[in-house]
Amino acid sequence: MARIMVASRLSRWTPHFFALALVNFVGAQALVLGGVTWPAESLGSAGTLVAIHLLVIGWLLLLVLGALFQFVPVITTRPLESQTAALVCLVAVEGGLLGMIAGFVGATGGIPGLSGSLPVGGGLVTIGILIAAWNVGVPLARCRPGSLPGRMVMTGLAFLAATVTLGLLFGSVLSAPAALPRLAPVLAAVGDHALAGLGGWFTLTAMGVSYKLLPMFMLAPEERGALGRGVHVVGAAGFAVAIVAGLATIWHPAAALIDLQHAGEIAIGVATALYLWDVRRMYRERKRSVIELHDRAAIGAFAFLGVALALAAAAAAVHRLDGIAPALVFLIVFGWLGGLGITQLYKIVPFLAWLVRYGGRLGRGPVPRVQDLVRDGAALPWFVAYGAGVSIAAVAAVLRWPTAFRIGMVPVTIATIGLCLEYWRAWHARYVGTAPSVATARPLSTPSSLSAHPGDRP
Amino acid sequence: MEPLTLDLRDELRRGGEPLPRILDAVARLAPAQDLRLLTTFEPFPLYAVLGRKGFGHEAIHHGEGDWEIRFRPDAQRAPTKPAAAPAASTPATPATPATEGWPTPSVVLDNRGLQPPEPMVRILDAFEHLDAGAVLEAVNERDPVFLYPELQARGAAIHTEKVADGVRLLIRRAG
Repeated sequence: MARIMVASRLSRWTPHFFALALVNFVGAQALVLGGVTWPAESLGSAGTLVAIHLLVIGWLLLLVLGALFQFVPVITTRPLESQTAALVCLVAVEGGLLGMIAGFVGATGGIPGLSGSLPVGGGLVTIGILIAAWNVGVPLARCRPGSLPGRMVMTGLAFLAATVTLGLLFGSVLSAPAALPRLAPVLAAVGDHALAGLGGWFTLTAMGVSYKLLPMFMLAPEERGALGRGVHVVGAAGFAVAIVAGLATIWHPAAALIDLQHAGEIAIGVATALYLWDVRRMYRERKRSVIELHDRAAIGAFAFLGVALALAAAAAAVHRLDGIAPALVFLIVFGWLGGLGITQLYKIVPFLAWLVRYGGRLGRGPVPRVQDLVRDGAALPWFVAYGAGVSIAAVAAVLRWPTAFRIGMVPVTIATIGLCLEYWRAWHARYVGTAPSVATARPLSTPSSLSAHPGDRP
Repeated sequence: MEPLTLDLRDELRRGGEPLPRILDAVARLAPAQDLRLLTTFEPFPLYAVLGRKGFGHEAIHHGEGDWEIRFRPDAQRAPTKPAAAPAASTPATPATPATEGWPTPSVVLDNRGLQPPEPMVRILDAFEHLDAGAVLEAVNERDPVFLYPELQARGAAIHTEKVADGVRLLIRRAG
C-alpha cells in the first residue's frame, strides 16, 4: 500500500534553540559557582530561583523543544504545523524567562519597578509553550495511536500543561494573594510542580525520545514490547496519581489520599526501574558492536537516573524524602536530563550539520562522514569531567556541604563549556579535513568507470 | 559451476582502470556462470552496466576497503546486502497504478542493518548513476525522511510503501 511521503529538512530554528539553551545552562552554572544559590543560600533565595528557572526553562525546556521540533516530524512522518511558530516560541520563552528572572530579583531585592515582570514573564513563557505544544501536538495527534516515542511525548505534553497551570497559579497567588484566598495554599504544591515538570514532562519525554534515538544509532530493536508499554503506562499513571493526590492532600490531608500519593510515587519508581532495565536490554540487543561515544557517555546519564531512584527509595523508606528533595532535583537536572542532553547533542549536532552541509552533494562526489565532524578524543575528557563533577556535587548536595558542592561544579562548568566548543566545531565542520578521513563509500582515488563522480558514468 | 573470479583490489589501489577487464571477463563467462569481483569499494555504476546485460548482483562488505560482488546472469536478482543485514527476502515488485509503466529496477539496495545516514548515502550514490528513466529499488528499516528533499531536488519520482520490516522505495530518475 502506497504511503504518504513526508520530506523533512532541518528544523530551521532548532540550532538556535540548542545554542540559547547551552548559554542558559552555562549561565545557571555560573550562578552556582558564584555561591548565590542553594546549598550556599536558601531554596527561596533569588539566586536559587533564578538558577532553577534558567535550568528548567532556559536549558531543559529550550533543549527539549528544539529537539522535538526536529524529531517529531521524524517520529510521526508528518511536518510541523509551522516553522515560524518555532521562532515565536523561542523568542517568547527566552524573553519570558528574562522577565521572570527580573521578577525574582525584584521581589527579593525589594525593587518595586520589577514586580510586574514575574507575571508578564510567566505569561510569555506560557504563550511560548502553548505555541510549541500546538506545533508538535498536532502532528503527534494526527498519527495516533502512533509509536511508543510519540505516545510518550504526547503524555509528556499533558504533564507540561499541568506544570504550566500550577506555575501560573503560583504566579497569580503571589501577585494578588488577597484576591484568591482559597487558592493561597497551592503555594505548598511546589513539590507537585517539580514532579509534573521534571518527571511527567521532561523525564517521560526524554524516555520517549531515547526510545527513538538509541535504537536508531545503535541498531537495536525499536519495538519495545510490553516492557516499553509498561514504562509508559505505569510511569504516566504514577506521576498523575502522585501529583493529583499530592495536590488534594494540601486541602484535605486524609490518610487515604496520602496513601494514594505514596502509591503513585511507588509506581514512578517501578516505571523508572523498568525503563532502566529496558535501556540495558537495548544496549545488549544492539546490532552494532561498537557503541558510539554519545551512547557510551549516555550510560552515565542512565546511571545517574538509577542513583536518583535508589536515593529516593532509601529516603522514602526512612521518611526523609522531603529532606533529600533538593539533592534529587540536582541529580535529575544535571545527572539524568542534563547528562542525556549533552551526550545526545554530541550526535544530533554533527548529524544535522552534515545534512545541511553535505546533503546536496551526496552521490555527486566525495563528502565527509558524519563522524568526521567530531573528534571523540577531544570530547571524551569533557564527558568524564562532567560525570565526575556531578557525582561530587551530588554527594555534597546530600550532605548539604556548600563548598564541596561548588568544587564539584567546577569540572561540570568547564566540561560544559568544553562540549559547547565541540558542538560549535561540529556545526562549523572545523574538524573536516584535519584528520585522515575518506568519502562516502569509496576512497577518493577510484577509477573513473566505477567511481561515483558525475560525468564519469561508463 | 564455479564463478569466474576477478581480484581487482591491487589494480584499484594502484589507480588502475579495470572496466575493460571486467567486460572481457563477462564475455568469457559460460552460460549460467557467475562473475565474482573482489574490489575496494562498492561499484554502483557497474550494477547499472551489467544490469543492462541481464545480471543481478549481490554485494558483501567484508571490511574497510574489501568488497565482494557476485553478478548472476539470471532474472532472480538478489538485493545488494550489506554484511550486517539480517537475512530477509526482498519483496517482488508489484504493479501498482503509481508505478505502472516504470521499468524493472536496475539497481536493488537492501539498506536494512545500516546506521543512519548510510542508507541515504547509498541511495543517492546509486541514484546519481542511474540512466535517465531508470528505477532504483531500496528497502530501508526506517522511512528516510531526510532523503526525500534531496531526491525531489534532483527531479526524482518516488514511490514508497510499508513492508513487513521497513519501507520499500522505488525511485525513478527523470528522463
